[in-house]
Amino acid sequence: MKLHQTCDGVRRRDMLKLGTLSIGGLTLAGYNKLHAAGKVAPGAAERAIFIELPGGPSHMDTFDLKPNAPDTHRGSFNPISTNVPGIQISEHLPKLAGCMDKFAILRGVSHTLAAHRLGREYVNTGTKPIPALEYPSFAAVMSKEKPSPTEVPDAVAVPKASQGPGFLGIRYSPLETNGQPSFGRPFSVRGISLPGGVGIDEVNRRQSLLNKLDRRFSELEKNDQLLDGLDRFGDQAYSMITSPKARQAFDISQEPESFARQFGEDSFGQSCLLSLRLVESGVRFVTVQLGGWDTHRDNFTKLKDTNLPRLDAGLSGLLNGLEQRGLLESTAIYVTGEFGRTPKINTRTAEGGRDHYPRCMFMLMAGGGVNGGQVIGESDDTASGPRHEGISPDDVAASFYKNLGIDPTLEYNSSTGRPITLVRDGQVIDQLFS
Amino acid sequence: MKHLSKRSRFMSAIAAILFFCMAPWLHADPNEPVANRSSSETQPTAKMSVRFANKDTQEVPNFQKHVMPLLGRMGCNGRACHGSFQGRGGFQLSLFGYDFATDHDALLADNTGRVDTDDIDESLILAKPIDADYHEGGKRMDLDSWQYRALRKWIAEGASFEKTDLEELQALKVEPAEMQFTQSKQTAQLKVIAHWKDGSAEDVTDLCRFSSNNDAVAEIDENGLVTSGETGDTHVVVYYDNAVTPVPVLQRITTQLSDQQQSIAKRVSKQPIDQLVKQKLDKLGIVPSGQCTDAEFIRRVSLDITGMMPSADAVKTFLADASADKRQTLVEQLLQSPGYSAWWATRLSDWTGNNEAQLTNVLPVRNVAGKLWFTWMQKRLEDNLPYDKIVEGIVNANTSEAGESYEQFCKNMTEICSGDFDQFADRQSMPYFWARRNFQKPEDRAIGFAYTFLGVRIECAQCHKHPFDQWSKQDFDDFAKLFAPIRAGNANIIQPENRDTRQALLDKITGGKKLDNGELRRQIYSAARDGKVVPFGELLVNTRGMTDQQKKQRAAAKRKGRKLAPVNIPTGKILGAEQELKLDADPRPALMDWLRDPKNPYFAKAIVNRVWDNYFGIGIVNPTDDMNLANPPSNAALLDHLASEFIAHDFDLKWLHREIVLSDTYQRSAETNATNAADVENFSRHMPRRLPAEVVYDMVMLATGSSQKALQMRGELTSMAIADGTTGARGGSQFALEVFGKSIRESNCDCDRSDSPSLLQSIYLRNDQEMFQRIADRNGWVAEVCKDLGVQGPSGSGNSQQALQTRQAEGLRRQVVLRVASLSKQLAKLPESRREPAMERAKLAYRKQTAKLTKVYEVPSFKDLLKNPKSWSELVQKSSSGSLDDGKVASLEGAVQETYLRTLSRYPDDEEVDIAVDYIRESDSPAKGIEGLVWALVNTKEFIISH
Repeated sequence: MKLHQTCDGVRRRDMLKLGTLSIGGLTLAGYNKLHAAGKVAPGAAERAIFIELPGGPSHMDTFDLKPNAPDTHRGSFNPISTNVPGIQISEHLPKLAGCMDKFAILRGVSHTLAAHRLGREYVNTGTKPIPALEYPSFAAVMSKEKPSPTEVPDAVAVPKASQGPGFLGIRYSPLETNGQPSFGRPFSVRGISLPGGVGIDEVNRRQSLLNKLDRRFSELEKNDQLLDGLDRFGDQAYSMITSPKARQAFDISQEPESFARQFGEDSFGQSCLLSLRLVESGVRFVTVQLGGWDTHRDNFTKLKDTNLPRLDAGLSGLLNGLEQRGLLESTAIYVTGEFGRTPKINTRTAEGGRDHYPRCMFMLMAGGGVNGGQVIGESDDTASGPRHEGISPDDVAASFYKNLGIDPTLEYNSSTGRPITLVRDGQVIDQLFS
Repeated sequence: MKHLSKRSRFMSAIAAILFFCMAPWLHADPNEPVANRSSSETQPTAKMSVRFANKDTQEVPNFQKHVMPLLGRMGCNGRACHGSFQGRGGFQLSLFGYDFATDHDALLADNTGRVDTDDIDESLILAKPIDADYHEGGKRMDLDSWQYRALRKWIAEGASFEKTDLEELQALKVEPAEMQFTQSKQTAQLKVIAHWKDGSAEDVTDLCRFSSNNDAVAEIDENGLVTSGETGDTHVVVYYDNAVTPVPVLQRITTQLSDQQQSIAKRVSKQPIDQLVKQKLDKLGIVPSGQCTDAEFIRRVSLDITGMMPSADAVKTFLADASADKRQTLVEQLLQSPGYSAWWATRLSDWTGNNEAQLTNVLPVRNVAGKLWFTWMQKRLEDNLPYDKIVEGIVNANTSEAGESYEQFCKNMTEICSGDFDQFADRQSMPYFWARRNFQKPEDRAIGFAYTFLGVRIECAQCHKHPFDQWSKQDFDDFAKLFAPIRAGNANIIQPENRDTRQALLDKITGGKKLDNGELRRQIYSAARDGKVVPFGELLVNTRGMTDQQKKQRAAAKRKGRKLAPVNIPTGKILGAEQELKLDADPRPALMDWLRDPKNPYFAKAIVNRVWDNYFGIGIVNPTDDMNLANPPSNAALLDHLASEFIAHDFDLKWLHREIVLSDTYQRSAETNATNAADVENFSRHMPRRLPAEVVYDMVMLATGSSQKALQMRGELTSMAIADGTTGARGGSQFALEVFGKSIRESNCDCDRSDSPSLLQSIYLRNDQEMFQRIADRNGWVAEVCKDLGVQGPSGSGNSQQALQTRQAEGLRRQVVLRVASLSKQLAKLPESRREPAMERAKLAYRKQTAKLTKVYEVPSFKDLLKNPKSWSELVQKSSSGSLDDGKVASLEGAVQETYLRTLSRYPDDEEVDIAVDYIRESDSPAKGIEGLVWALVNTKEFIISH
């Protein structure tokens, strides 16, 4: 067991004493004791669903339309009214327009990183990426600060998450499903579902054989944290594998068809449905991805025919579904791509496309303490930049953490003991919560 | 330490280290080296609490000596309070208060009211800590306490501080210099005297901060009162001004020894390691464990030296060998085996930060740089090149070899990149250490260089004085400047004289067309793939001495008698050095000379300590990358001995390995006795640890693979994780290796490699598709055993096709259940007369639908299912035939034995054989039974930890 002393004199061993060997790592109470009070504020949300839109969705064609912009910029989509007077969004998002009261739009969000990977790392951590140190994903922080009860994983990513646990370490990685569920079909996941040909009975038999054979070192176990930890993880793994709870949480085919249908029948909609089932069963953080937004070419056809209908059905289904289950007030939702797209339409193809554009983008927030039905921030006449002071990804991350009851100024120690502020430069956007 | 010369500072740092390391155990008078300085000096001033006990004291406290330490003592500048990077309540102090000027400015900032020399008692630094004015941090002192009086007096007298007032602390003397307790709950009060350069001395016990390196052994309170706890040893540490002074504390174990223990305790080894370890253990009253068994030894030493578990045959041979020196012979064999160089090149890759993701675009062929780095080190380890020579090839690396033209360099590198890695291994230099993306800024290099070669974390000093060491921010900045001239890692940077050659090579590729950067790179990459010679970037040292033009100007000016301003040549400083190093030449040879200088206090210790950690799971200094004053070695004499002998043996790594693994200390059993059960840092027993990620990964492959496959893996190494040498990119696909904590080699920390267990690891070994696939592989070990036994082998369950079939079958089951459920509702609605025929029809349909399932799975009768459709909730496999006749039980026992040898490297005992054989015989088929056995053995703790 290594003992690491950190820059502020907290010893890793002190943390270990409090049980890094427990399933989600150090207990929150223990961490607080070490770091004095005031790290965690009471928050409204107990769980979160993070919807990533990798590729970078066009803001001007979705949630920040400029019908009066010149033809070189405007695009062919028209705005429609929503169920909140005064707020308009794209005509290809009619279902979301119908539940505008449940989410908030952030416009004029702005940063400077126009490469996919860097932009993604930025919006997924709330801190501008630096090569020397990788910041943790929201999911990893949540797993560390608010671990789940044992039978379900702390965090799940459907199918993957683009941001890892960074300096917090692999044990805070989400369980990645690698696949996406299909409408009406059962869904199984690596490690949790039983692989082909091995039934529950077989697992139980093997476990009892293991119990009989695994007895060397039993003398040492009382004193040895490692052996004790291995035993505990073994038991937990066994219960997760054999208990129906975890498997059932993944089995979306158990949902009534009418409920499942409102999410849309494609893989994204059903991933949203899965995310709902997972948070309902105790998973703290679910990441869902919907890709295909990198519309350098044929921007409008792609959005109109594919991406927007999928997003519209999946996200509105999720918001409505959470409300129907009484979970919306305790589930924080954050939707974002890595950047917006150029307001000026490129002419490389007949139809035109839009390129990477971090200076102006949109993000969505809902659930928990977020008041829906509002627009925060504003872009200029051609959606080329924020009209006033822009919102930064740092601000949004700070707000998301606040919504989760995690103090965004919480300080961690990197593996080498450097103190690191969770969100270094972010200010909570108070308007979201008022 | 602003005035003290660097040389004397450096030497005193060494002296301090030596003193604190050696003194407690070896010196007759441990006070001597530091204490004699003050013996002739004046009596120290009394404690501040005494001086300020009187209300009318006229003394004006000094900002550096009293005010800041007092605030620090009250916790004001701790990290949770105003020492936080954001400050608190708009008020920020330097962390632990080493930046006097900044702190003074913060205290006296206009309009903050923190220090108000007009309305003294309204000063917030008085009103807040007594909680008269609301203070989030609560009450820190009492009104009219001595602390209050001292602070008030300082304010009343003008709250002054000048940078030039700073005085140098020469020694911080702590009494007692070491503490020995005989039982728990005993106490000892520390007394701390500060000796200043002006000859004055003061009792500063009231002004120090104290900490304990192990609260369980010794607690220390804020006043310096030490209370003993459990038996064992540790240090309490005293901090004042810039001094960090550890004081050893020890409590002897007093347990009656059994005869056997006494005989172990009396055993004398000639090995210096054993003697030095014993000296410490004797002092603590610890009796070490006895010797490990031969089976434990071959497994332990094979895993530790070569990263590979021994083959079943090797175990059998070794156990049967009766010669007295068989352990020695085995060690020699292992050190000569290819596993040695592979595994240690992996470890060196960890420490030097060989990370593919940080080397993107350094070479025009992807995923090669990390491999070259690894191969280069592997070759040197195989040749047993001295450690300092290996480091020299990295530190002083150039891209081209001596005498190699740029064109020839490009030609050679093109060949290398297209697969001739061995050619690279023969080159003098390995320049990619300098080329990493996260190793470009001078500060990042300072941190990374110190981490890799010195085992020191100087990064704290990047922002504030190092809280546990002597390094100041200035030291850090001076050191970092040394690295500024080196430019590497950019494929477009070359020596000016090679520009034409490069252009010619480019023209050949592009046909002379001008291309944008992205397109040009694509074309170069594609040309390299086709084996065409492509241009490579070079490592440049931009020494910024005088340019030719400046020299000409100077010469001209001299002729004409004009004066020119001196050329400003940047300088830097080697850590702890007095002399500045002018950066008009490559600074790296000077750095290298400093590293390998026998007087360097870190270089040899860092590697010796890391190698030791590989064998014991804990360093002599622990953690291995954090050598600092407040973190003294657990056995300083041992570390000194190993380091100095390592240097005396010309940095011979194999000497070091041999010296360690042939010691009794290394060969201890994991079984504990009453005296050493709690010992973790004095090497009195073998401490089980989870094996490293690559090792576990390979072990699973070797244990589950057929004999032939295992033999092939061991022979070629190429398919083994210990010889892979590279890291996957962030979020890469090496799932199992990541889960088991393979080093990411990214953040200058030995903890980038993790040996902690985790839930995901347990889930992986128990239930991952990959595991089932390997165990049930048609060419795996289980299949081989089945073939030998003449029974049907595993069905290959776990392969993806099988999984697909299972999923389909499961889907079918659900459909059928749903259909029957709805049918049962419909049937209930039908009139009696039509019910029977409808049921018959449905039954036929049911049989047809389930025909596919009945072959493999138990299928309920239609009638039963109709009664309760929910009863069929899971697919259960039919028990298959192919049972074992009694005549084969003997060979089954042999198979169990072999399975034990290839997983746990030992023979099973009789009871284990019985359990295993019973299990197999009770299984649905022998194949399933043996699969279960392999599964269970790789899931034992014994498999995953060292013995």
